[in-house]
Amino acid sequence: MPERIKHEPLDSKEQVKPEAEIHIITDQCKGCGYCIKFCPQKVLEESREINARGVHPPRIVDETKCIICSFCTAVCPDFAIFVLDKPHEETVKNE
Amino acid sequence: MVMGEKKEAQPAPKPEEPRIGVYVCHCGLNIAVSVDCADVAKFAATLPQVVLAQDNRYTCSDQGQEGIKKDIKEKNLNRVVVASCSPRLHEPTFRKACEDAGLNKYLFEMANIREHCSWVHLYDKDAATQKAKDLVKMAVAKAALLTPAEETEVPIIRKALVIGGGVAGIQAALDLADTGYKVYLVEKQPSIGGMMARIDKTFPTMDCSICILAPKMSDVGHHPEIDLLTNSEVAEVKGYIGNFHVKVLKKPRYVTKDCSACGECTKVCPITAPNEFDVGLATRHGIYTPFAQAVPSTYIIDMNLCLNKDGVVVCDKCMKACERQAVNFEMKPETVDLEVGTIVVATGADVFDPSTLPSYGYGKYPNVITSLEFERLINAGGPSHGHLLKPSDMQIPKRVAFVQCVGSRSDKTGRLYCSNVCCMNTIKDSLLIKEHWPNTEIYVFYVDIRAYGKGFEDLYIRARNAGVKFIRGLPAEIKEDKKTHGLWLMGENTLQKELYRTDVDLVVLSVGLEARKDSEIIQRLLTLSRNQDGFFLEAHPKLRPVDAATGGIFFAGCAESPKDIKDSVTQASAAAARAGILMAKGKVTVEAITPIFFPEKCKACGLCTKVCPYNAITLDKDSKQIHIVEAACGGCGTCSAECPFGALTQNHFTDAQITAQIDAVTEKDADKKVVAFCCNWCSYAGADFAGVSRMQYPPNLRIIRTMCSGRVAPKFVERAFAKGAAAVMVTGCHIGDCHYINANYQTQKRVERLWKKMDQSGIDKQRLQLLWCSAAEGERFAQKAREMKAVVVNVTSEQIKKARKVFEKALEDA
Repeated sequence: MPERIKHEPLDSKEQVKPEAEIHIITDQCKGCGYCIKFCPQKVLEESREINARGVHPPRIVDETKCIICSFCTAVCPDFAIFVLDKPHEETVKNE
Repeated sequence: MVMGEKKEAQPAPKPEEPRIGVYVCHCGLNIAVSVDCADVAKFAATLPQVVLAQDNRYTCSDQGQEGIKKDIKEKNLNRVVVASCSPRLHEPTFRKACEDAGLNKYLFEMANIREHCSWVHLYDKDAATQKAKDLVKMAVAKAALLTPAEETEVPIIRKALVIGGGVAGIQAALDLADTGYKVYLVEKQPSIGGMMARIDKTFPTMDCSICILAPKMSDVGHHPEIDLLTNSEVAEVKGYIGNFHVKVLKKPRYVTKDCSACGECTKVCPITAPNEFDVGLATRHGIYTPFAQAVPSTYIIDMNLCLNKDGVVVCDKCMKACERQAVNFEMKPETVDLEVGTIVVATGADVFDPSTLPSYGYGKYPNVITSLEFERLINAGGPSHGHLLKPSDMQIPKRVAFVQCVGSRSDKTGRLYCSNVCCMNTIKDSLLIKEHWPNTEIYVFYVDIRAYGKGFEDLYIRARNAGVKFIRGLPAEIKEDKKTHGLWLMGENTLQKELYRTDVDLVVLSVGLEARKDSEIIQRLLTLSRNQDGFFLEAHPKLRPVDAATGGIFFAGCAESPKDIKDSVTQASAAAARAGILMAKGKVTVEAITPIFFPEKCKACGLCTKVCPYNAITLDKDSKQIHIVEAACGGCGTCSAECPFGALTQNHFTDAQITAQIDAVTEKDADKKVVAFCCNWCSYAGADFAGVSRMQYPPNLRIIRTMCSGRVAPKFVERAFAKGAAAVMVTGCHIGDCHYINANYQTQKRVERLWKKMDQSGIDKQRLQLLWCSAAEGERFAQKAREMKAVVVNVTSEQIKKARKVFEKALEDA
C-alpha cells in the first residue's frame, strides 16, 4: 500500500521484545568468525583480546538487537557460543 | 482461424465511375449557427463526380438515414459523404446506413464540420463556411478514390483478466465468473479487498464496510471460475482485442496453501514493522496476514524484513511453530502465462499525501491525522479497537476538527479536481464520533459541501441536527501547543466574514484521491490514455464510459476517476457486461485498415519489418519476400509511410487518398493555410475536444485524419509544401502514449529528417511543426493552432516559392 507512514504504531510499546543473554566461551573459540559473519542482526564483532588459543574471539556489540535465532550456536564449530532467553516475567520484576 | 497471412493484392476490378452523394448537416443550430449549410451543399454540387448534394437538419436522425438509403438505391449512389460531426462519433451510424442500403461501408467518408469548424469558429461565419467547403472538398476527393473492403473476423478467447482486487475488481470478477467465463483476478497486495476493506463504515447507510465486503471476498476465493493471483503483478501484455497474451509475475508468499491461518507463527516471529494496512498505526510481524478477513487467508512472509535472506535459513521459529509445516523458504517467483480475450482495469486510486502542505503540520504534529488513519482508528478491527485515540497521549479527544478538500480543488496545494467522496466521508465520520461519544464537539471546515447522491443530503441534515458545526473557510494554518499537543486552527469564516481561531484535540485531514503512482506502468502495458489528472481516459465520456479506446479493455472503479463504493460497483458490473458482450459473441471484426502490398515494387529491404510495432511483417531473406500477418496488424500504417518504394499502402488511408486530400486543401489560397495531420486516437480527439469545449482558434487549419501519426509519410508533408501550403502540422499522441505501442517514434524521426532537409535548403523550420497532444488536451491543440496562425502570417511569397521548388519532386509520384 502506497501511503507514507507518518505515525508511530499505537501498540509499539506493547510489543514484547525477546531479551537475549549471549554466552561466549572465549577460550573455546578458534576465531573462525562464522558467528560474526552469519548473525542476521549484526550483534557480534571481533574483539581485540587474545584468548587461550591465540585468536580474537567475538565480542557483543549490542545484546538488545539479538532476537535469539541461535544461528550462531548452530554454525559454531567449537560449541563456543549459546544464547539464553531471559524469561519475560523476570524482566518485568527486574524493572 | 478466420484470418491468416495477408494475400497479395488482387488486381482490382475496373472501378465503376464514382457517383457521390453529399449530405451537409445543420445539426440543429450546432453547425448552422456559423456555417451556411445550404451554401456548402450548393458548392458540393459543383465538385466533380458529385451527383447529389443537399443539406438537412439532422442527418443522423432516422429520417436522415432513410434519405441516404433511398438515394443510394434510387440515384445509384456508390459513394456517400456526410459533412457533420466527428467520425469518432457518427461514422459507425452512417456506415451502418450505407450497409443497410447495400453499399460497402468503406465507401463512406465524413467531413467534420462541427467539432473542427462551426464550434471553433463561432463568430466568423464567412471563414467557417469557407472552411466547411474545403473540408467537404477534401472528403469528396478522398471518397472518389475509396474502394470497398471486407473486414476480417478475429475469434475472442472466452476468458477475462481483471487487474486489481478492490471492490470494483471483485465485483467485475464475480459478474464475469457468474456469467460463466473463466476469470483471472490479479492483485498486487497479499489480500484482495482494496480500500473498502480498510474503511470502517460506508455512507450514506452506515453499513459496516468489511461486513458487506467480506462475503464477496470469500465468494471470489471459492468461485470455481475465478483464479485468484495475489501478491502478483502484470508484467507483460501482448496481442489485441480477443487475444491478449499476458504474463503475470507471481511473487512467493513463502507460506503454502496448507496454512490454516492459526497465527502461531506470528507469535514467535522476532521481527516487527508497521502494518501498511493500518497505515502504520499498528505493528505486524515478519510473517503476517494484513487483516483478519484477508482472502486468501494464507499468511505471508515479508522478505524485506525476514532474517532468512538468499535461501539461508537463519531463523526457523515460524517453521517450528507451524504445525502444518506450511512455511517454505524455497519458494521462488514464478511467471504465469495467461491467454485472455478481455481485460478489466480496476487498479484503484491512491490517497493524497498531506505532508506536502506544511501549514497543516501533518507528520509534524502527532494529533493531525488523515481520514484514512481515522478510518483505521474508529474501526473495531483496527489498532485501537474502535477507540478514537489521540496519538499523542492515547486519550479520547473531546474536540475534533475535520479539514476538507486537502489535496483537492486547488492546483496550488494539490489537485484541481473534486475527489467526490471526501465530503460525505467526513459527514459519515462526524456522525460516527457522535454515535460513540455524543458530547464530542465537532467542527467541519469546508469549501462547499457536495452532498449530491441518493440519501446524501439526509445524512448531511442528520449531522447538522446532531450538532456538528460546519464552518465555511479552510484554516490557513494549524498550530500546536507543544505541551499539551492540542491544536488550534486559524482561518476566515467566509460566510460571516470574520476570522476564527478554534482549539481542538484532534484534526482529521480529509484527503483527496489521486491517480495511482503505478498507473503509468499499466498505461504502457495496455497502451491506454490518461487525462490531465492522471486517471485513465474512457473511449467516450458519455456513451462509452467504461470502455478504453483500446479494444477489449474496460475500466472499473477509481482507476477511471474518483468515485464512491456504489459507483465503483455499478461501473464494475457495467465493465463486466461490456466484456461479456464481446465474449458472448465470440468474435470481433477488425477494421479493414491493414496494409495493401504490391509485390512487384518490393525490393525486400526490410525497413517495414523494423518499424512495425506488432512484428506483423517478417522478411524471408532467402526468397526475398515479406510476409504480412494481418491478424497481428494493429492498423497504424507506419509500414506504408516507411516504404521508400511505394510497395505498401494502407487500406482506406491509401497514398492516393491522402494525396487527393492534400491537393484539395492546397488548390486555392494554399499560402494562407495550414495542413494538419492528426492521429485518430489522440490529436484528432484533442481537436474534437477543443470543439466540444468551444475553444476558438483561427480558421485556416485543415485537418487530415490518419489512424496514427506514424502513417504520415514524409512525401505527404513534402507534397503539401510543393503545392504551396504555408505550414504543415504533424500531430500525434505523446511519446509513450501511442495507441500503436511506439509508432509515433517513427513520426518523430521522420519530422526531424524533414527539419534537417528544410534547414539545409534554407526553408524556415517553423513552417513544419510537430505537436504531441492527448485526447484531453483541447486547449493545447487550440493554442498550437493560434501559434500556427502567427507562423503563416510571417511566411513570404518568396519563401513559399522556395519550398515549392525544393519539394517539387514530391509532385512526381502519386
